[in-house]
Amino acid sequence: MGKQSNVQKLFLALVFIILYAPIFFLIFYSFNSNGTMSSFESFTWEHYAAVFEDTRLIMIVFNTVIVALLSALVSTAVGVLGALAIVYLKNRKLRSTLLSLNNVLIVSPDVIIGASFLILFTAVGVRLGFASVLISHIAFSIPIVVLMVLPKLLEMSDSLIDAARDLGASGRDVLTRVIIPYIKPGIFAGFFLALTYSLDDFAVTFFVTGNGFSTLSVEIYSMARAGITLTINALSGLIFVVTVGLVLVYYALNRRNRTPFTGVKK
Amino acid sequence: MKEIIRAAVAVIVVSALLLYINSQLGKTSGSSGNDTITVYNWGEYLDPELLDQFTEETGIRVVYETFDSNEAMMTKVEQGGTSYDVAMPSEYMIEKMKEEDLLIPLDHSKIPNLDNIDPYFLDLPFDPGNEYSVPYFWGTVGIAFNPDLLEEDFDFTSWEDLWSPELRQQVILVDSAREVMGMGLNSLGYSLNSTDESELNAASAKLDELTPNVKAIIGDEIVEMMRRSEAAIALTWSGQALDMMYVNESIDFAVPEEGSNLWFDNMIIPKTADNVDGAHQFINFMLDAEVAAQNADWVGYSTPNAAGLELMDPEVTGDERFYPDEEIRGRLEVYRNLGPEMTGEYNERFLRFKMGMN
Repeated sequence: MGKQSNVQKLFLALVFIILYAPIFFLIFYSFNSNGTMSSFESFTWEHYAAVFEDTRLIMIVFNTVIVALLSALVSTAVGVLGALAIVYLKNRKLRSTLLSLNNVLIVSPDVIIGASFLILFTAVGVRLGFASVLISHIAFSIPIVVLMVLPKLLEMSDSLIDAARDLGASGRDVLTRVIIPYIKPGIFAGFFLALTYSLDDFAVTFFVTGNGFSTLSVEIYSMARAGITLTINALSGLIFVVTVGLVLVYYALNRRNRTPFTGVKK
Repeated sequence: MKEIIRAAVAVIVVSALLLYINSQLGKTSGSSGNDTITVYNWGEYLDPELLDQFTEETGIRVVYETFDSNEAMMTKVEQGGTSYDVAMPSEYMIEKMKEEDLLIPLDHSKIPNLDNIDPYFLDLPFDPGNEYSVPYFWGTVGIAFNPDLLEEDFDFTSWEDLWSPELRQQVILVDSAREVMGMGLNSLGYSLNSTDESELNAASAKLDELTPNVKAIIGDEIVEMMRRSEAAIALTWSGQALDMMYVNESIDFAVPEEGSNLWFDNMIIPKTADNVDGAHQFINFMLDAEVAAQNADWVGYSTPNAAGLELMDPEVTGDERFYPDEEIRGRLEVYRNLGPEMTGEYNERFLRFKMGMN
């Protein structure tokens, strides 16, 4: 592949415009003083003010973030252990079975996972609310983390571990000083993917929310059913800006840490 | 390893901080004390100021949750795991919930404000004696139309007008079996709860004749299309028509004279209630004349609260399109729960009508 031709550039630009246009369209109307999406009247901040005045909405935003952070954290911890277990299984058959079971969870529709969680929670007697949402988010994030960490583990050469052992490392040292540093990019990737999955999940959450606890996607859905108000636009605009900010921070950190990687930490 | 631990600690600290902020926000928005009720309502269907006022008056904190369909509401109540104290389902759902034994009977001695309700809206067939429910809002099914977009003058006092050959490709129908089948039955002078095979056949045949006039069969998008003058005529609920008029002033609404549907959303106490006493207090509060008037003002639907009506703007309450007089009301019918078999039959016929569209 030499230089990009003009056609290629045009195509790329077109794809990005199609992907981003709806978002900017939405944000554009969040500044509309006429309360609808049909015609732009004049510029106003009032819909943004409405978002900040609505404490219930802000609490829901925080709830969503808390659930996302905690579920990503726990599922990363469990997922990394799971990936380690799968990779170091001696029994090949069991190993591939476990891996398939993990993949089945990723491809099975959210609606089914959500419905089965609802049935499980009510059968066991768990009150729907924060705990039920957190548990289900952890559960559907674990397979994703496993999938993100596995390739890194498989890519790691066994001789690294043998060398560490030769040099007198204990089992614990091997794990914390060789394996985990090596798969660190996979761990972070898993964490961020779990985070985004949790943030935007609607189907599973829809089934297991209750008792006054709600997340943003579920809330926006109920609001939209009653007719879109521009408060939703304003809120979406804010979230978009925050997301872009996070992505920028992530890249800045990545750039700083891009030092040659040796595989072993002292 | 250190880096990962540091990151994990950071995540935990941030979450804890947010949890703390949330609990502080929760305290300021509600009052102190553990006395709470959970209200489960349609979206945008209650003036939030009234919740604060209720908390001030009674000290009971309100947790407010919304649903988007009767079926979703019933599923959540049926499954348990939640403790909704008050919910606002539509009338046919109340019959169904009653059958499934999901409701707690109301103690009328705790709801003195029940006297404010217009007797016309009490003791209806879906809940005789208002044993389980109290009407919250009501409305009709009718025709919203935009005279500016019509070449001929129509006033839609009759369903028959929809069948006029001048209206080719102009009519939008709401995507709901009961409403569309009901229109077919009503236009022939039959009851919209008909279970008679020949009457239903006649209604289906009548609907098929409407096909050339139908522009689309859609859901909530109707409101937006009518607002933007993209469509001229829509079969819809009175509340949606009001939403359209609010933005597009040329739109008018009519309830045809042959009869139509009268619908209710009602306050009930589901079996899952934790705070039955608080739920009664809430229902009584919502029936207060001033509260009902303020709420009707905010929501825009028709209130069954006679005492509240007197406090409202006479221009609103005198609008016969949304507060029809007794004569028109006499021709309106409430949906009955037809049982699973007939409901299936209605859906089947509606589906066949939709398939005939292409």
